[in-house]
Amino acid sequence: MGNLTEVTIDFERSHLVFPTIIAVVLGLLGLAILIRDRRRIAGSGAYWRTTFAQMDRMRFFGTLGLTLAYFSLMVPVGDIWPNTGMGFLICSIPFVFLSGLLFMHDRTLRQIAPLAIVSVVAPTFVWWLFTYPFFLTLP
Amino acid sequence: MFEIITPLFLSLIVGGTFIGIIFGAIPGMTATMAVAVCLPLTYSLGLENGLALLLGLYVGGISGGLVPAILLGIPGTPSSITTTFDGYPLAQKGEGEKALRIGIVASFVGGLVSLFVLWLFAPTLADFAIKFSYVEKFLIIFFALTVMAALSSDMLIGIFSGVLGIFIALIGTYDISSGGNGKMRLIPPGTEYWLETGFSLLPVLIGLFGLAAILEQAELGVPRGFNKDEVKVGGKSTFSFSVFRGQIVNLVRSSGIGTFVGILPGVGGSAASILAYSNAKTFSRHPETFGKGEPAGIIASESGNNGLTGGALVPLLSLGIPGDSTTALLIGAFTLQGIQVGPLFIGNNPDTWNAMIFAMLIANIAMFVMMYVAIRYFALVVTIPKHILFPVILMMCVIGAYTINYGIMFDVWTLLIFGIGGWLFVKLRLEVAPFIIGFILGPSAEVYFVKSLESFGTLSIFFTKSWIAMVLWVLIIGSILGSVVLSRRAKGQPDGV
Repeated sequence: MGNLTEVTIDFERSHLVFPTIIAVVLGLLGLAILIRDRRRIAGSGAYWRTTFAQMDRMRFFGTLGLTLAYFSLMVPVGDIWPNTGMGFLICSIPFVFLSGLLFMHDRTLRQIAPLAIVSVVAPTFVWWLFTYPFFLTLP
Repeated sequence: MFEIITPLFLSLIVGGTFIGIIFGAIPGMTATMAVAVCLPLTYSLGLENGLALLLGLYVGGISGGLVPAILLGIPGTPSSITTTFDGYPLAQKGEGEKALRIGIVASFVGGLVSLFVLWLFAPTLADFAIKFSYVEKFLIIFFALTVMAALSSDMLIGIFSGVLGIFIALIGTYDISSGGNGKMRLIPPGTEYWLETGFSLLPVLIGLFGLAAILEQAELGVPRGFNKDEVKVGGKSTFSFSVFRGQIVNLVRSSGIGTFVGILPGVGGSAASILAYSNAKTFSRHPETFGKGEPAGIIASESGNNGLTGGALVPLLSLGIPGDSTTALLIGAFTLQGIQVGPLFIGNNPDTWNAMIFAMLIANIAMFVMMYVAIRYFALVVTIPKHILFPVILMMCVIGAYTINYGIMFDVWTLLIFGIGGWLFVKLRLEVAPFIIGFILGPSAEVYFVKSLESFGTLSIFFTKSWIAMVLWVLIIGSILGSVVLSRRAKGQPDGV
């Protein structure tokens, strides 16, 4: 019985011991879920169709698209003026404005004007706060 | 101790509580999101001042949820869900202000009871845990994971989510500083440069609780804000403390339930308030009045969810295991300052410990005073347009992720990956809280497990090391059996509350 529980761990391969156990457990649990919920999983196509049919596609994918563009542009823009945080500032202003516009329901001047002010003031304040008092370099 | 209490320290608690109430009061925004967004602001504040801000946000965020729950019938935070049951009917009768004040007083009492428990038990538990070897430490984590999975709405899914969290946390190098061999694993080819140290905790948390929440709102079309006409505080019946006559037992019991639920890892405020509410209903002489504007229902719900605040800090500060998602974020504040939370934390950092207790006390008092005096103004918070708030929050999420490791762009991409992941989690009905706890505890679990085997060379050591190990196994088996019984009962009673 004692031999069955004995384990020798080779230090050189010790980085694989726990991940292997966890991967096996994860696989077994996934299999158990697959078996238990097979009907629900088989019918998931309809679930996803309903999800996409009911979602506000413009706002959801618009948010994803704007976020992706925001993250992608920050570093290249920042590289034009290195170590100044300008990439963050220059990209954040249009990002805040455009995503605010995307989330807005009634796009009237009365609604857009405060958004425009916030989209300039908020990124500028955050940029100033992190660049000067906190001494943290932004992209 | 007293040198820590400076005007800045006090201002940060009060300011944090104020911002937390605003976050909690806006449906779709939570205390966790408030802490996630404000975490980067703690960089240059130092540990005590940073914690003052974050603990204020935590207490305020949990408390603020009662405002929309009572006035609009929409819980501001998940933990306020049962407040809607009786708060909203009272508001509809024109007694909104009375309902709000009942909730504020109950929140205050819940917060104080849980703070007392934290002050009393965390150092004792930590003193006890210092004696733990790698074996007991591993079993404690195993126990935490089983409790958390057992209390998930679906145990199998809960366990799967927790193990998935561990698996993702293992991506990267087996850390030499923890006794590992410094070799990489689970890294897809071509991503070694970015994933050498794995995914950072905070971008993961900010993605799951910040970006994912905004994606969920975007999916719903970012529901319109409320206008002032829809927010009726009412003034028909004024609040009097006499409403608490005969409710002391309910207050103490609900606060105790909230605190106990908080101590259990990975179980959120919604479980605390639901359990407190259902107990209040069961023990009430007039259970039929619940759901129709019964003050006892608001008292149970709000004292229960605020009881969570101190309770959730007990396992964090004594064992290094976060009690809920918001306290998981607090680990980030400690990490930023290079301090590891665990059994040695309180003994090695008595000033920080005292400052935390004091900050929690002041935060509860500040919450009570601000909300009690200015509740009519806080009620208007629900009218703040989301099209202004959400973009600013997204921008703050980016700042938080980017600055966590002093400027690594991959952390920003991590935020996006886990933001989308968090949205998918909800769609796939996976559980976020067990995932987070698994993600946080995974690397420690690995070190404790492998080191135990390296030292003793046998699996039986996990059963025979000490009496503590055996007690932990009893608790582990008890939590699994308990969850099976609970899930069978839940199937028999579809209307759980």
